[in-house]
Amino acid sequence: MSNVRATVRTVVLILAVMALATPTGVLAQAPRAGGELVLVSTEEPDTLDAQKTSTAVTGLLMRYLGDTLVAKDLAGNYTPALARSWSVSRDGLTWTFQLRTDVRFHDGTPFTAAAAKASIERALAPETKSPIAGALFGPVAEVQAAGSATLVIKLKQPFAPFLDNLTDPRAMIVSPQAVRELGDRFGRSPVGTGPFKFQEWRSADRIIFARNPDYRWGPGFVHAGPPYVDRIVVRIMPESAAQVAAFERGELSILGVPPTDVRRLQAAGKYQFFSFLRKGVGLFMEFNVTREPFSDLRVRRAFNHAIEKKSVLQIGLEGLGEIAYGPLPPSIWGYWDGIKDYAPKYDPARAKTLLAEAGWRQGAGGALEKDGRPFSFVLYTAPIDTWRRSAQIVQAQLRAFGIAMEIQTFEFGTLLSKLRAGEHQAEFMGYTYTSPDIVQLWFHSSNIGTGLTLSHHRDPKLDAMIEASRRETDQNRRLGIYREIQKYIVDQALWVPLWTNTNYIAVQPTVQGAKIHPDGFLVLNDVWLR
Amino acid sequence: MRAFLLRRLLLLVPTVLGVTLATFLMLQLTPGDPVAIMLGEFGSATEVARLRSELGLDRPVVVQYVRFLGRVVRGDLGTSIRSRRPVAEEIAERLPPTLELALAAQGLAVGVGVLAGVVAATARRPALDSAVVAVTLVGLSMPTFWSGLLLILLFSLTLGWLPITESEGLRALVLPAVTLAAPAGAVLARITRASVLEVLRQDYVRTARAKGLAERVVVYRHALRNALIPVLTVAALQFAGLVAGAVIVESVFARPGLGRLAVTAILSRDFPLAQGIVLVVAGMYVFVNAGVDVMYGLLDPRIRYR
Repeated sequence: MSNVRATVRTVVLILAVMALATPTGVLAQAPRAGGELVLVSTEEPDTLDAQKTSTAVTGLLMRYLGDTLVAKDLAGNYTPALARSWSVSRDGLTWTFQLRTDVRFHDGTPFTAAAAKASIERALAPETKSPIAGALFGPVAEVQAAGSATLVIKLKQPFAPFLDNLTDPRAMIVSPQAVRELGDRFGRSPVGTGPFKFQEWRSADRIIFARNPDYRWGPGFVHAGPPYVDRIVVRIMPESAAQVAAFERGELSILGVPPTDVRRLQAAGKYQFFSFLRKGVGLFMEFNVTREPFSDLRVRRAFNHAIEKKSVLQIGLEGLGEIAYGPLPPSIWGYWDGIKDYAPKYDPARAKTLLAEAGWRQGAGGALEKDGRPFSFVLYTAPIDTWRRSAQIVQAQLRAFGIAMEIQTFEFGTLLSKLRAGEHQAEFMGYTYTSPDIVQLWFHSSNIGTGLTLSHHRDPKLDAMIEASRRETDQNRRLGIYREIQKYIVDQALWVPLWTNTNYIAVQPTVQGAKIHPDGFLVLNDVWLR
Repeated sequence: MRAFLLRRLLLLVPTVLGVTLATFLMLQLTPGDPVAIMLGEFGSATEVARLRSELGLDRPVVVQYVRFLGRVVRGDLGTSIRSRRPVAEEIAERLPPTLELALAAQGLAVGVGVLAGVVAATARRPALDSAVVAVTLVGLSMPTFWSGLLLILLFSLTLGWLPITESEGLRALVLPAVTLAAPAGAVLARITRASVLEVLRQDYVRTARAKGLAERVVVYRHALRNALIPVLTVAALQFAGLVAGAVIVESVFARPGLGRLAVTAILSRDFPLAQGIVLVVAGMYVFVNAGVDVMYGLLDPRIRYR
C-alpha cells in the first residue's frame, strides 16, 4: 500500500520536474490545421451579397468571406488590408489608395484597381438598390483606377466618417466577374477575397464557408497564410434556449450568450469567455418634446434625477453592463469621459422641486397633478426581455413620485413607424453604431419624421454643431465638437440614458487562438481546434 | 355525381380569391413599411422613397393587388423583397420539411391518440381511464414552445440521446414530431374515448355481445369502425392545424420549414412572400377539404344532392 503511494508520489514529482524543465515554447502547442467550427445565428441572412444586405448577420459573416480596403486592428487603429497605404488631399476630397498586387478573388480572378472600382460603383448604382453598403462611401463624385494598383475616390464634400466606413464589412470588395456571371444568384453564392470562401447555404438551416487555401493577404494582426480550420458552419437557430442547450452539449463551438445564461455558464468554469461593451447605448428613455408633458424641459430634467439607474441595470440587465450617461458610450470614439460627472445624478429632492416648478404637485392619494389632471403617460417599447424588465423598474420608481407610467409593447418595425409619426410621449430605444456620427441620425432635425430624430426636437443650434462635426477632418477639433454636442444633449435632457450592455461570447475549451475584435466579433483566422 | 364534383371545384375559385384578398388587405393594414424595416433604423427618407419606387410599393394598393393576381394566374408568385429570390423557389425549398413534420405528427397523433382513447374507454379499472384522461389533459395544456424545450433539455442535454443541431433524417424528426403531435393526439384520444363509449351502448353492440363474440372482436371489429367516423373527421381538420403549429415547433427545433419562412416574411413585411405562403397553404387546405367533401359524397349518396 505504501509502495503504491510512493510510486504515485514519484510519478507526480517526475511530472512536476518535467513541467518545470520544459521550455514554455514547447508547452504552447503549435496550431493544428483541420476541423470544423460551428457558430450559431438567431437570424437568417436575407442575402450574402454584402452590397444588397440589410441584416446584421450578413455583415458579421462578410468579416470572414471578404476583405475591405482598410481594416481596424485589435486596438481599434486603422491598418492596411487590401490597400497597402492611403492618403487624402488637403481639402479632404480626394482619397488615394495603393492596393496590394498579390490578391485573388475566390473565383481565381485577380484583385486590381479596376475590380475595386467596379465593386464600389456597383454598391453605388441605383439598380443595386443597396440598403446599407451604398451609403457607406458617402458623397462619392467619382471612382478612378489609376493604373492596376492605384484607386482614387473623389468626394463631393469632405466626409469625416469615410475611413471608418471603409472598415465596415459591407464595404468589402466583391468579384466583378462573379457578379456579372451569377447575376441574381450572386447573393446565394458570393465571391470575395476573404480567409473563407462560400461553400453552401441550406435555407433556414446552415451556411457553410470553407478555408481559402490561397489566403496570404490577411491584415497585420493575424498570421500570414490561410486559416487553420477547414470550415465554418453557421447554424441558424431562432430559439436562444435551444442554442444554449446545443452549446452545452458541445454541438456549437462558439455562442453569443443570452444575458439569462451568462452567470450560469461562467460558473460552469468549462468555457473561455470573451466580453465587450456594446458599441452604442443599449437602452435609453427618449422623450417626444412636441407632446405633453415632456415638452417642458423641467419635466425632462426631473426624470433624469428621478430614475435610479443602478437598480435598472442590476435588475433589468442582471448587472451585465454599464450605466449610460449621454448619447455616446465609452466604446465609441468621440465619447467624452467627463459626461459621467456632467450628467444629472439620482436626486429625488431635486426631481420633486423641478416637477413642482413645472406645476406638478402632489394631490390627494399621492398622485402628481396639474390643473386637476394626474401625471400619467405611455411608454412605447419593443418586445425585448431586458427592456421589458427595465421598464417595470422605471415604472415602479416613477410611481414613488406619483407618476403613472403605462407600458405598451410593439413589434420593432411597427414601433419605429409609430415613433417616426410622433404618436408617442416617450419610448425605450437603443442603438448600435461604429462612429459618433450617430448623433446626426438621432438628433439632426432633418431626420424628424423620416429618420431617427424620434424626440422630434427641432434645434438650429444643435443642427449647426452636428453639421460642423461632419465637415471637420481634424480629429482633435472633431473630438472637441463631439464633447460640446454630448453636453448640449444632456442639457436638453432629450434622453434618460439607462445602460449599455456587455456582450458575452462563450467558446468551447477545444477552440484555441480566438481573439476578440474591438468592433465586437471573433477573429477566426488564427483559430485552431485541439 | 359529375355535377356535384364540378360545383365543388368551381366553389374553390371564390374561396381562394377571398383568401388572397384577405391576406393582401391584412398585410397592407399592418403598420410598418417593408422598406423602412429593410433599411433599418438608419435608413434615410430619400433612401426609403427610392427603394419603395424601385420595388413598386408606391403604386396604389388596388394596382398592386391586381398586378399580384395577374402574375399568380400566370404561375408567377413574384419576388421576395427580403431575399430578392423568386417566391415560388423559396416555398418549394421549404415545403417538404414542413409536410414531413406535419405528416409524422399526424401519424403519431392518430396512432397513439386512437389507441389511448380505446384503452381508456374499455378499461376495466377506473384508474387506467383516469390516467389516460390526465395525460391527455397535460398534452392539451402544454404550449408546444414549452414542451419542446423540456424535451430538448431531457432527451438531448440530460440523457444525450438525440442531437439538437441536426435538421435532417429520422433522428432529427423524433422530438419535433412528438412535440407537435402531443396536443393533437390528446384531442383525438378524448374524442375516441367519448365516441367508443357511446357506440358501446348501441343495440348492435349488445347484439354482438349476445351472439357470444369475444370482447376484443366486439370492440375493435364492430364498435371501433363506427366510432372512428367523427375521429377521422377531426383528424383531417387537424392536419391544417398541424401545418400552422409547425411555425412554433420549427422555431424551437431550428427546422428549415415553411412556418419559419412565414414568420420571417410577416415580420419583415415581405408582402410577396407572405402572400405566396398563404396562397399555397390556403390552397392546400381548400383542396384537402374539397377532397374530403368529395369522399363523403362518394361514401354517402345523400350528401351529393344537398
